Amino acid sequence: MSMQNQTVDQVAVSIHGVAHHFGESGDAKHVKALQETTMDIYRGELLALIGPSGCGKSTLLNVIGGLLNPAQGHVDVCGKRVDGPMPHEIAYVFQENALFPWNTIIENIRLGMLFQGVAKSEHEDRAQQSLKAVGLMEFANHYPGQLSGGMRQRAALARALSLDTPVLLMDEPFGALDEQTRMVLGEDLSVLLSRTRKTIIFVTHSLGEAVFLADRVAVFSARPGRIKQVINVDEAHPRKPSFMTAEKFTRLRNELYDLLHDEIRKTVDLGSRGGGF
Amino acid sequence: MSGFHGSILPATKREKMASRAVQLSFVVALGGLWYFATNHWGVNPLLLPKPQLVFVELADILRSGEFWPDLVLTLSELGAAFAISLSLGLIIGFLVSLSPALVKVFEPLIAAVYAVPIILFLPLYVLFFGLGAPSKIALGATISFFPIVLNTIAGFISVEKVYVTAARSMGASPTMLVRYVLVPGAFPVILTGLRMGFTVALFSIIGSETIASLAGLGHRIVHLAEAMEMARMFAYIVFVIGIAATLNQLVSWLEKKGTSWR
Amino acid sequence: MAMTGPRPILSFMQKHPRWSQLLTLGLFFLAWEIAARFFVDKMFLSPPSRVYGEIGRVFGTKGVPDALWLTLFELSIAFAISVVIGLVIGLSVGLGTFARRSFMPIILLLYGIPQITILPLFILYFGIGAPSKIAFGVTHGMFPIILTIVAGVQNLKPVLMTSARSMGASRWHILRYVIFPHMIPSFFAGLRLGMTGVLLGVLLAELYVSTAGIGHFTSMFTQSFDPTRLLGLISVLAVMAIALNEMVRRAETHFSRWKS
Repeated sequence: MSMQNQTVDQVAVSIHGVAHHFGESGDAKHVKALQETTMDIYRGELLALIGPSGCGKSTLLNVIGGLLNPAQGHVDVCGKRVDGPMPHEIAYVFQENALFPWNTIIENIRLGMLFQGVAKSEHEDRAQQSLKAVGLMEFANHYPGQLSGGMRQRAALARALSLDTPVLLMDEPFGALDEQTRMVLGEDLSVLLSRTRKTIIFVTHSLGEAVFLADRVAVFSARPGRIKQVINVDEAHPRKPSFMTAEKFTRLRNELYDLLHDEIRKTVDLGSRGGGF
Repeated sequence: MSGFHGSILPATKREKMASRAVQLSFVVALGGLWYFATNHWGVNPLLLPKPQLVFVELADILRSGEFWPDLVLTLSELGAAFAISLSLGLIIGFLVSLSPALVKVFEPLIAAVYAVPIILFLPLYVLFFGLGAPSKIALGATISFFPIVLNTIAGFISVEKVYVTAARSMGASPTMLVRYVLVPGAFPVILTGLRMGFTVALFSIIGSETIASLAGLGHRIVHLAEAMEMARMFAYIVFVIGIAATLNQLVSWLEKKGTSWR
Repeated sequence: MAMTGPRPILSFMQKHPRWSQLLTLGLFFLAWEIAARFFVDKMFLSPPSRVYGEIGRVFGTKGVPDALWLTLFELSIAFAISVVIGLVIGLSVGLGTFARRSFMPIILLLYGIPQITILPLFILYFGIGAPSKIAFGVTHGMFPIILTIVAGVQNLKPVLMTSARSMGASRWHILRYVIFPHMIPSFFAGLRLGMTGVLLGVLLAELYVSTAGIGHFTSMFTQSFDPTRLLGLISVLAVMAIALNEMVRRAETHFSRWKS
């Protein structure tokens, strides 16, 4: 899908001059987390946010999701001003396993719908559907503690899907998983996306993951973060594993690497000065 | 909105000050309540003495040095009890930890006995040893033996196998292994056991003096209670709480010093 | 580590830990039996065969069954009150950051006081009957419950709260579906520690009052050099304590299933 010819009413998420800092200014703990950022994300688009640690990409995600009030600027989601969680518009998948350990997988999914306010009569159907979408039907009655990390993230994704929101925010959803599991989940996610056409904003550390999954990749500078450049991937979903070995994939990945390299260097050097290597 | 994240962030200066203020007003309110209840609202002085009288009595106790014989007795009982539980606890704990089989058999057994309120042994010890110091020492030693032995076992088996393997690969003899790897590795956990053992030994010695004895700080409080000398009794309670707090503080300080490398 | 001598014994222990434990207990009772029969004056120690053979004499002693029932009653009431107080204080202190920071130091300070020093006061205020013993049991039982509940509320992973909020959970939802189920295991752990505390408090007070209840009989058996009945009575109390502890422990394992 080409993004250049989108019109305004096809904008799903609109970020207006959002900036944020932690702590009071002048305080020793004051951290400028995010510099003024403005951007539109279109319906059905998958945007990846990538950048060095502490560059404010998760901060931006939390501002979009209404979990954090920005110090400056505002966000509109589906035409509504964000000033708190928007359970009907936005579903979240977190990096850490955010399933309730005392509930089974299916109970977790039902609980999400209960929180969101879905009619009880719809719970069973939607829960089964979303479990099917991530291929976890046999594990409906397992507790999260009984599943592997990859399966837990699938379950978390199923819970988010069952909420049937137009927008999905994912904060390094595969960050805690090993390389092989990440790859498989990435492929599955791409297939899923081509079916649901949700708007997805996705924070990641992995260059390959960003290129493989995203329609556009926003590259952040080191702290205080700002969007340094946006790269178009322009490849139809679902993407096949063969895309990962294509020349285009390698070129985009290298382009991202060049953009990020200096920024990462900055944070690592800063860190080593503070930490005393 | 930031309230939800507030719980994981460190407190700001203002929040800390507010907490201190709440704590201070709690203590002041309690003291004020005590003062007004006894001085103005006519609470029976046989139930609750006036705080200022308690203060006078406390000053008198400290000045006269009347407490010394009781304090010395209680502390010697504590010293003897702790010496016994410390040596037995460390030796038995170390021996049990030598083999996984021994741990598997004896650790649950010791833990099960510890689940019984050991205070029940007191009448038995009084029968065996009489009302004097030996029954107090026996009870203190029994109660404090358990946390010491259990933590000694836990400490030794918690030493990571990789350190033992590393030391062996460098040619360490069994003695060297114990001296340079096992003991330092187990030390923090053992120290926790010793601190817990010390605290329960102190409490149980004062407790057994309260229940059945002829002398000691616990007995002094009971004696004053029976004589209805309320102000002096309260003063002794404050004194004993002060002694206990000092000893616990001292032991915690020693524990912190002992594990400063952590 | 290598031990060459007792290899066969150790490998037996490794394979049959339960049997080894039973054998150890058997050896203990055997040693007790031999010591009591041949080495120790029977004014001080009775062999287990006699203690448990004549356990009926303990129950036959006038007033002992009543004292035992009363103790059980005191334990149950003290436990119930401790749970209610512990839950109320634990939740109200644990759920608010500010309340926790303000009141936890005070609670810890109070908990650190050797409560035994104020036992005579309890008797003065509440008399030698059940109320003083219940009250003393409560002051011992409530603190561990408060502390475990506060700790339990505190160690909730923040992401679970955030995720519930992102899905639109109301305050009631969060309390009912996040905080409450999260607390269940620590609540039961608190119950177990609370029971230990209640047992200690009630038995301390029972033994302290030598003119009534259990304390009266332990003093009587001690002064009349009757180790048979003294050991019998102590064993009955120990069994009572073990049974109560075990009940709470079972409840804890049962309600913490999802933790595995």
